[in-house]
Amino acid sequence: MFQRGRVFTLAAFLSVLALVGAACSDDDDSSGDSGGDTGEEAATEGGGDEGGGLLAEVQDRGTLNCGVNETVPGFGLVDEQGEYAGFDIEFCKAVAAAVLGDAEAVEYTPLSDPETRFPALQSGEIDVLIRNTTYTASRDGGDGARFLATTFFDGQGMMVRADSGFQSIEDMNGTTICVLAGTTTELNLATRFDSAGLTYTPLTFPDADALGEAFGAGQCDGWTSDLSQLAGQRSAFPEGPDALVIFDDAFSKEPLGPAVRDGDDEWASAVNWALLATIQAEEFGITSANVEQMTGSENPDILRFLGQPIPAEEGAEPEPFDPGLGLDPDFAVDVISQVGNYGEIYDRTVGPDTPLGLERGINAQWTDGGLLYAPPYR
Amino acid sequence: MAGPTATTRPPPWRDVRILRLAFQVGAVAAVGAFLVYLYDNLTANQRALGIETSFDFLDQQAGFRIAYSDFSPSGTVFEAMLVGLRNTITVALLGIVLTLILGTLVGIARLSSNWLVRRAAGAYVEAVRNVPPLLVIIFVNSAALATLPPIDDPERVAGVLLTVREIGVTVPRGDGGGWIYVGLLAAALLGAVPLARWRATVEERTGRPARPWLWGGGLVAVVAVGAWFALDAPVVLSRPQVVDRGIEGGVAMGLPFVAVLVGLVLYTATHVAEIVRGSILAVPKGQTEAATAVGLSTTQRLRYVVLPQAFRIAVPPTINQFLNLTKNTSLGVAVAYGEAMYVTRTVIGNGSPAIQSILVVMAMYLVLSLAISLVANLANRRLRLVER
Repeated sequence: MFQRGRVFTLAAFLSVLALVGAACSDDDDSSGDSGGDTGEEAATEGGGDEGGGLLAEVQDRGTLNCGVNETVPGFGLVDEQGEYAGFDIEFCKAVAAAVLGDAEAVEYTPLSDPETRFPALQSGEIDVLIRNTTYTASRDGGDGARFLATTFFDGQGMMVRADSGFQSIEDMNGTTICVLAGTTTELNLATRFDSAGLTYTPLTFPDADALGEAFGAGQCDGWTSDLSQLAGQRSAFPEGPDALVIFDDAFSKEPLGPAVRDGDDEWASAVNWALLATIQAEEFGITSANVEQMTGSENPDILRFLGQPIPAEEGAEPEPFDPGLGLDPDFAVDVISQVGNYGEIYDRTVGPDTPLGLERGINAQWTDGGLLYAPPYR
Repeated sequence: MAGPTATTRPPPWRDVRILRLAFQVGAVAAVGAFLVYLYDNLTANQRALGIETSFDFLDQQAGFRIAYSDFSPSGTVFEAMLVGLRNTITVALLGIVLTLILGTLVGIARLSSNWLVRRAAGAYVEAVRNVPPLLVIIFVNSAALATLPPIDDPERVAGVLLTVREIGVTVPRGDGGGWIYVGLLAAALLGAVPLARWRATVEERTGRPARPWLWGGGLVAVVAVGAWFALDAPVVLSRPQVVDRGIEGGVAMGLPFVAVLVGLVLYTATHVAEIVRGSILAVPKGQTEAATAVGLSTTQRLRYVVLPQAFRIAVPPTINQFLNLTKNTSLGVAVAYGEAMYVTRTVIGNGSPAIQSILVVMAMYLVLSLAISLVANLANRRLRLVER
């Protein structure tokens, strides 16, 4: 009797294990899967390719799944109306406008916890990650992410209380520094302090809200992050932005840009050119206000960029230029009319007239001495 | 009936013993094969996505610091995770001791005949037991952040230095002769036990009071005072002081550590209190009545009859709570306490592969939990009532 009971227990245990195992194996499969496929083929497929690629899938689905941060004022934040707003959000909209023709066809996935972003991208939960993510070699190599055009050239800085008396990092020996977990900032912080021969205590928080509370209560002397994020947090500081100062010196390069999953070149190109279109439009002087007018431009470069029929030699039928990106030839018109060019996006979300008050700096067009440089559209 | 017939072995496929063994071996093999298949599938998928599949990252340089430890950025990832494990163990062990004390007191208080004590204990248990532990930790942390004074304006309360960053406790610290003094005290304590035992047997034999406690205590006191003067005040109080932006002297505890420890102790103690209360109530009423009938006083009744039995009932579920507390230390991540999970998240965020890192930290928790259960179960085996 006793023995039989044990066999039954074992059998029950095994069946539970089998169920759990089945659940796990589903997870495994979907992580090797670009979204719609199921089962075994995903294990060998290793990402989308011609025909079954993510571009076609997104267009079939009709919405873009965009992974964003929802806790950085100016870049990605859920506002009082419950709407996502910010610099990164605008680029989600630009991609949706280019791919789907509708800037509002975006499903946002909040990924404020930095450790969740690459797993979300790898698993196919999101189509594109636009979330103040620094382009680094190991993320490109090890995390299965492919970085696209940099949308914001940033650097890491330090923010302290205005009444703390600290003038630069060199004054901050033996201090406690608050930093966000799972970011490149921790490593830059260690490098910066160690190279200056300074000691410090890092307090690493899982999200910006917990960090802000600790900083506000005086648990740490300094708050280090990307300068753009610091500007955002400073603008939203409960005691007012003037209670804080951000040191001028940036101690790292932080090129922030969107990332897609490795292995789907068609999708990567489509997303990349949606972003580059905003930069190119600003260089051409095309804005959301004048884009309709520009479609009748005399300039063949602008006509080609906007996908308008280019007057050809006599006799030949005027054809719109199609670079073969899998997008409509006039996708740039959708992007610019619905979202705007890079300068408009910047001024609207983080520029000098917003609470963040960030000057263009190195994020100006190359023609103005900045780093924004869209490859020629031809 | 005739005598016993000669038993012939059945063929193996009908032999229940062989079948049983075969079934179990087969089951284990099937489970093992399934796990291997899952792991293969995982690594194949990872390779297809261009994600690292080996455990080589453990030997790479970590590159970050961990607060309140001397871990340097040039240490390896694995060493960083070990620092995290050490922090986890620190909170777990301290938490277990404090939980046991607080839980037992509150559990007994819930059965107090004093209305106020009983109700206060009840209110505490019901309020804290029914919220998630993460909330308790965050509440403790936020309350501390909101009330503690800043580092440049510390407050001293009975030898404890309070600041919003660290809390410094005054502790005795030996200089030079300190360890000799501690050694002498320990020797005196060890010597006091047989001395007291001997006096107790004298008391039993002669029937006259022989004061075993006085003799034992006296020995310790004589050694303590004598050695103190002989070694010229070998132990001094080390007082915490704010130096620059931190605390030196005494024992300084970071606020995250305090928040996790206090939060987990407050939370787990409610569960232990319920176990203690339930175990006392579970001792049959007849035991109390019998003890009263043979003329034991209330204290004697508790000491010799009720509590020993209640204790034995309470041990297994309390071990469970110890394990819960140990695992709940992973919530320390919310308040920036550098425990194992926190370090793992940092490691993943800095480019180590997520799945392998999590497997490593899972193994760490497994070893820690199994070690705690092992110790606790050994204790339980010794304490268990031998039933026949």
